[in-house]
Amino acid sequence: MIITIDGKQIEAKKDSSILEAALEAGIYIPHLCSHPDLEAKGGCRLCSVEIDGIKGAVPSCMTKVEEGMNITVNGPEATKVRKTAMELMLATHPADCTGCPKYGKCELQSLYQYLGVSPERWRKKSRSVPNDDSNPLISHLFTRCIRCGRCIRACQDLRGVNILDYVKTETGIRAGIKAGTSLEDAGCRFCGACIEVCPTGSIVDQIKIMDEQRSYQENVVPCRSNCPAHIDIPAYIRAIKEGDFDTATAIIREKVPFPEVLGSVCTHFCESGCKRNELGQPVSICKLKRVAAVNDSGAWKERVMKCEATGKKVAVIGAGPSGLTAAYYLAKKGHSVTVFEKNEKAGGQCRYGIPSYRLPDEMLDREINTILEVGNIDLQCNTVAKSPKELKKEFDAVLVSIGTHLGTKLPIPGNDLPNVYVNVQFLKAARSQEKLPVGKRVMVLGGGNVAYDCARTAIRSGAQEVHIACLESIDKMTASKDEIEEGKEEGIILHAGYSFLEITGESTVTGVKLQKVNRFYFDENRRAVLELEEGSQHIVSVDTVIFAVGQKPEGTESMELELTHGPYIKTTQSKTSMEGVFASGDVVTGTRSVIEAIAGGRESASAIDEYLGGDGNIQEVLVQRKAANPFIGHIDGFAHLQRVQPEMLDSKTRCAGFDAIEKPMTCDQAKCEAGRCLQCDLRLTLSKVKLWNEY
Amino acid sequence: MTVVEKIKNLDEKQCVVNVLLDSVKAHPCKDCGKCVFGYEGITQFEMILKDITERKARSEDKVLLTDLANLMVTQALCDDGKEIAQAMLTALDKQGEVFDEHISKKQCRAGVCKQFMTFHVLASKCNGCTECMEVCEEDAISGKNKFVHVIDNDECTRCGKCIDVCSQGAIVLAGAIKPKCPKKPIPCRKK
Repeated sequence: MIITIDGKQIEAKKDSSILEAALEAGIYIPHLCSHPDLEAKGGCRLCSVEIDGIKGAVPSCMTKVEEGMNITVNGPEATKVRKTAMELMLATHPADCTGCPKYGKCELQSLYQYLGVSPERWRKKSRSVPNDDSNPLISHLFTRCIRCGRCIRACQDLRGVNILDYVKTETGIRAGIKAGTSLEDAGCRFCGACIEVCPTGSIVDQIKIMDEQRSYQENVVPCRSNCPAHIDIPAYIRAIKEGDFDTATAIIREKVPFPEVLGSVCTHFCESGCKRNELGQPVSICKLKRVAAVNDSGAWKERVMKCEATGKKVAVIGAGPSGLTAAYYLAKKGHSVTVFEKNEKAGGQCRYGIPSYRLPDEMLDREINTILEVGNIDLQCNTVAKSPKELKKEFDAVLVSIGTHLGTKLPIPGNDLPNVYVNVQFLKAARSQEKLPVGKRVMVLGGGNVAYDCARTAIRSGAQEVHIACLESIDKMTASKDEIEEGKEEGIILHAGYSFLEITGESTVTGVKLQKVNRFYFDENRRAVLELEEGSQHIVSVDTVIFAVGQKPEGTESMELELTHGPYIKTTQSKTSMEGVFASGDVVTGTRSVIEAIAGGRESASAIDEYLGGDGNIQEVLVQRKAANPFIGHIDGFAHLQRVQPEMLDSKTRCAGFDAIEKPMTCDQAKCEAGRCLQCDLRLTLSKVKLWNEY
Repeated sequence: MTVVEKIKNLDEKQCVVNVLLDSVKAHPCKDCGKCVFGYEGITQFEMILKDITERKARSEDKVLLTDLANLMVTQALCDDGKEIAQAMLTALDKQGEVFDEHISKKQCRAGVCKQFMTFHVLASKCNGCTECMEVCEEDAISGKNKFVHVIDNDECTRCGKCIDVCSQGAIVLAGAIKPKCPKKPIPCRKK
């Protein structure tokens, strides 16, 4: 229908309010308590207008359009109502805007500047309430509450959580927790809708969770921004909650081709960012990925991007997670890819660095085969690649993704005795038919996850007593807490905070001489400084020693590429110093994680595609997203729901062989665990209120 | 009885400003908060009326109350807010001069608003015991033993402690009509 506002005819939808119709047509009417996603209540009266044939001012948010209506926004009556309403609000609102966290983004501030009013003629009153930071994630600064009721309508009507309401306090009525208790006890879902709709600085994100280096969206959904590959984590968790494992897998696969591997061994930066940490333990994001993958039917395959053949050829050196990821996306972009792998099988560190009890061969084979199914990839195992320069003669582009497969020994006496191994050599052999012999008593030197991989492999290879010694104290060790705990269960004896002085023995290893570390730090030149305790030297008698003190790339010196920090390849946006030669993964970053290698593989694939004349776009949509249900409802005790632990074999069974130690969660466990997600992304789907200067 | 009816049926011992203030203090709008005119309106009503009853009124207060009540009558979200605004308008209409007296002349003709009253010691009853002098924190009472005490109403804060302490019932409150009292302490007639 047609209505007229300030002499301008506009088309209005039937059943819309005058305010909605005006804003839709780009005509600004001031408003504060109304919000596009919430039912209008008409409390603030800032949206007052005058209508021909109706006496006085009426709230435009509460008045439906009618055919032929003639509306004036700034008539004398409406203007008087609007200005007085704003004056009255300001009379009891703190006058100092600069100390408010919403300064510059506050709707109230924007509106009073627009209306040009001040509360001077009215009595002033302060309704001060102490700021409340006692709740997790959300700060309440209710001194600034203007009782617009938006948070209450969002919590009650939109989300169905129903814990916020108008509350009566000594200093007056304001928004607050209905039951007067903490958010956790009231059953808050910590969805953040209240924060999102609050026009002032009354309900805000706690300062400590907002990182100034990041965008607002990134801060709101930290799991997704922490993930190096930016997997849409909240979306796949939501799909799992609904038991839709196909959709979950498709969402994961939009960013990474190794869901099951990641679901087993990912270092899960996502979980460190998970806002549920503030309520206790994070959502088990990593392990939920595995449940999705093992219950996937492969429906996503129909939607996989497949570009026309470009006729370009790419060589990839090294079939680890980075090289295979790059190969996968390059093949889909229409390039024909040849992958050279020195080892018998593809997988890189996933196969030769991580023991099979964490990543079984069958799992790796399955995920690698799925990658190869895409076609256009010629995987040549047991093949040592030529130098990048040589390869450039046959291929249009070359990717070096050889990882870090050279272990290092510390320069201590006895390091050349027989039965002294390095991590990479030992772990690789454990996957092959020619395992390295271990004696009865083994000492692993190093404090990271790889040290535990070596120690736990040694136990499974028949060692009767396995020790780990490392310089760091137990709380500073880089090994994950789970790894330390599981190792302890398997009988590993940890000597944390010890320096290794020498490996004793004439022709065979007889022991390792340790000395207690009092202090261990890095000086201003980033050199390690050790302060040792006098007289604490002792020998732990062992017959086998394994160094797990780091690893580095092998053979980069002869590649004629610019290197950095020793043997690592220097890159700028995946490009090396040689035209047409790219690099990604551990060989660039140093030994990191599978997910970072995959993220690097994606970047290099995009860079190579661009170099070969493509658009560099490797984004895929493997499933049509369903809009999330905004009505999340009330769950008593939601904040206290405990993290679900998947079933793990008992330590005796674990130590008896190389069987996978952990089972995937059951579907029911997974749905339950996914239900703990705070759905931080949901608030980003709320409409943004446009300020007057945006019209 | 609605507030409007109360305002229409005041007797001469009731002060319209005071009756309104009591009604405002107990009004449901104070416990709601869902609309600006209802909640912030009742808040301003209470603060302004309180100032008027306590000799702290500003000259423009009657205009402010009229403006606000006129908007509240149409803009408050529910009938509660509209009703109290209507009562205010009725009061201003029927007894506007009482507001003026409070604001400009500093008088409460009904003798209800204590801040407009004066305190006096009746020479016929005072026995010069000095109890009232001792209890007065402002030293607003002069006199000595067996002399009629005199209250300086410019110093007096109308706390009422002297009335409570006087065993003779010699201290009285007065509105517009003041009792005849000595200007300075004189010897007591009463022994």
